[in-house]
Amino acid sequence: MLRYSILFDHWDMYMQGFVNTLKASVLALIGSLIIGIIIAIFRIAPIRPLNWLGAAYVEFIRNIPLVLIVFVFFVGLPAVGIRFDPFTAGTLGLTVYTAAFIAEVIRSGILAVPKGQMEAARSSGLTYLQTMRYIILPQAIKMVIPPLGNQFINLVKNSSVLGVIAGLDLMYFGDLISSETFVTFDVYIFVALFYLVLTIPLSLGVGYLERRLAKSR
Amino acid sequence: MIYFHQVNKYYGDFHVLKDINLTIHQGEVVVIIGPSGSGKSTLVRCINRLETITSGELIVDNVKVNDKNIDINQLRRNIGMVFQHFNLYPHMTVLQNITLAPMKVLRIPEKEAKETAMYYLEKVGIPDKANAYPSELSGGQQQRVAIARGLAMKPKIMLFDEPTSALDPETIGEVLDVMKQLAKEGMTMVVVTHEMGFAREVADRIVFMDQGRILEEAPPEEFFSNPKEERAKVFLRRILNH
Repeated sequence: MLRYSILFDHWDMYMQGFVNTLKASVLALIGSLIIGIIIAIFRIAPIRPLNWLGAAYVEFIRNIPLVLIVFVFFVGLPAVGIRFDPFTAGTLGLTVYTAAFIAEVIRSGILAVPKGQMEAARSSGLTYLQTMRYIILPQAIKMVIPPLGNQFINLVKNSSVLGVIAGLDLMYFGDLISSETFVTFDVYIFVALFYLVLTIPLSLGVGYLERRLAKSR
Repeated sequence: MIYFHQVNKYYGDFHVLKDINLTIHQGEVVVIIGPSGSGKSTLVRCINRLETITSGELIVDNVKVNDKNIDINQLRRNIGMVFQHFNLYPHMTVLQNITLAPMKVLRIPEKEAKETAMYYLEKVGIPDKANAYPSELSGGQQQRVAIARGLAMKPKIMLFDEPTSALDPETIGEVLDVMKQLAKEGMTMVVVTHEMGFAREVADRIVFMDQGRILEEAPPEEFFSNPKEERAKVFLRRILNH
C-alpha cells in the first residue's frame, strides 16, 4: 500500500517541483515553437545559406543527448562568462533541444500545403514572409497538430532533465524527498502522478484540437 | 503593356519557350490556345515572374520583369492572376480571401477593403457567400471568388491560367460570363483556355502555340475561319469536331 504520508508531509516540496516543472514546460513550449518555426522557415526559404544554417541546427541538436545540451548552458557557457541559474539553464537547454524536433514537424507541414497557395499569395503582391505568416503557417500547423502534440508531451517529460542540474523541478524534489526519507518507490510514484497531471490533459487537449480542426477543413 | 522580345526558357535541358515575341496592348484581350505541353501556361506565368525566363527581354507595365533590382511585389500588385485550381485560402472566409492582399499589400483600412470586396462579390454574383468558407462553395463559385480576389487589388492586367479547366460543365458558363463582362469593361486580359467559344467571342487576338513556339497570331474571325499554319488547322479540326 502506498504511504500517503510521504505525499502529505512533503506536499510543499512536491508543489514547488510541480509548479517549476509546469513553468519550465510552458516556457520551453512557447520558446521551442517560435524557434522551431524560424528554423523550419530557414530550411525551406529560397536562400541557400539559410537552408544550410537550418539543416545544421536540426542535425546537430537532435543528434546530441538532451542532458549534454543542458550541460552546455549549465557548465559550458559559464566557462566563457555567461552564467545561468540551474532552472534557466535547464529550460534553455530544453527549448533549444525541442526546437529541433518541432522544426522538422513544422517543415513537413509547410511542405504539405499545396504549392498553389504560395503562388496565389505571392502573385497578389504579398511578400514571402507575409505569405508564410497569413497563408502557409496557419494551414501547416493545423496539419501537424498530432505530431506537434507528441513533441509537447515529450517536452514535459524531458523537463525532468532539470533534476540532473538541481533545477528545482519535480524530479529534483523527488530525489530530495527520497534522500531525506530513504523511501524510493512511493516517492517516485507520486512524482509520476504529478507528471500525469500535466501530460494527460495535454494529450486530451491535442485530441480535442485535432477533432475540431478536422471539422473546420 | 506586356512586351516579350526573343524570350527563351529552359527547364534544365527542356526548351519550354522558344523565341517568343509578343506585344499586348492596354485594354486588349489575348487568348492563348494550343495543345497541352505547348508552353501556354508557362508563358502566362512568366508575366508576373511565377516562372523566370532564361534569356530575352520581358517588359510588363514598363518594368523589366527579370531585372534583379526591381521590386517584384510592386509589379505583382498590378497583375491579378486566376488559376486552374482556384487556389483560394481554405482557412479563410470568402471575404477574408478577398481583403487580405488589399489590407496587407496596399495597406487599405479593413472597412474600406471589405466594401471593395463586397462590390466585387456582387459583380461576380455571389455577395451572399461572403462569410462562407471556400470548401462550402461549388467550383464555379470558388473561381468567381478567385476573380473577385484578383480584381480587389484593382490591377492593370488580369492573367487567367485555364480558369475553367477544373470546373464541371454546368458552372463553366458562370465563370466565362464574368470574364466576358470584364473584357467589355476594358481590362487587359491574357487568357489561357480551351474554351473556343469564349475565344471567338471575346478575344481581340488569338495566339496559337505549339511546342514552345508561337505559330500563329491573328484576330479570332481570321484564325478560326482561315488558320494559316497546318498545325493550327489540325488542332482546330480536332478540338471543334468532337
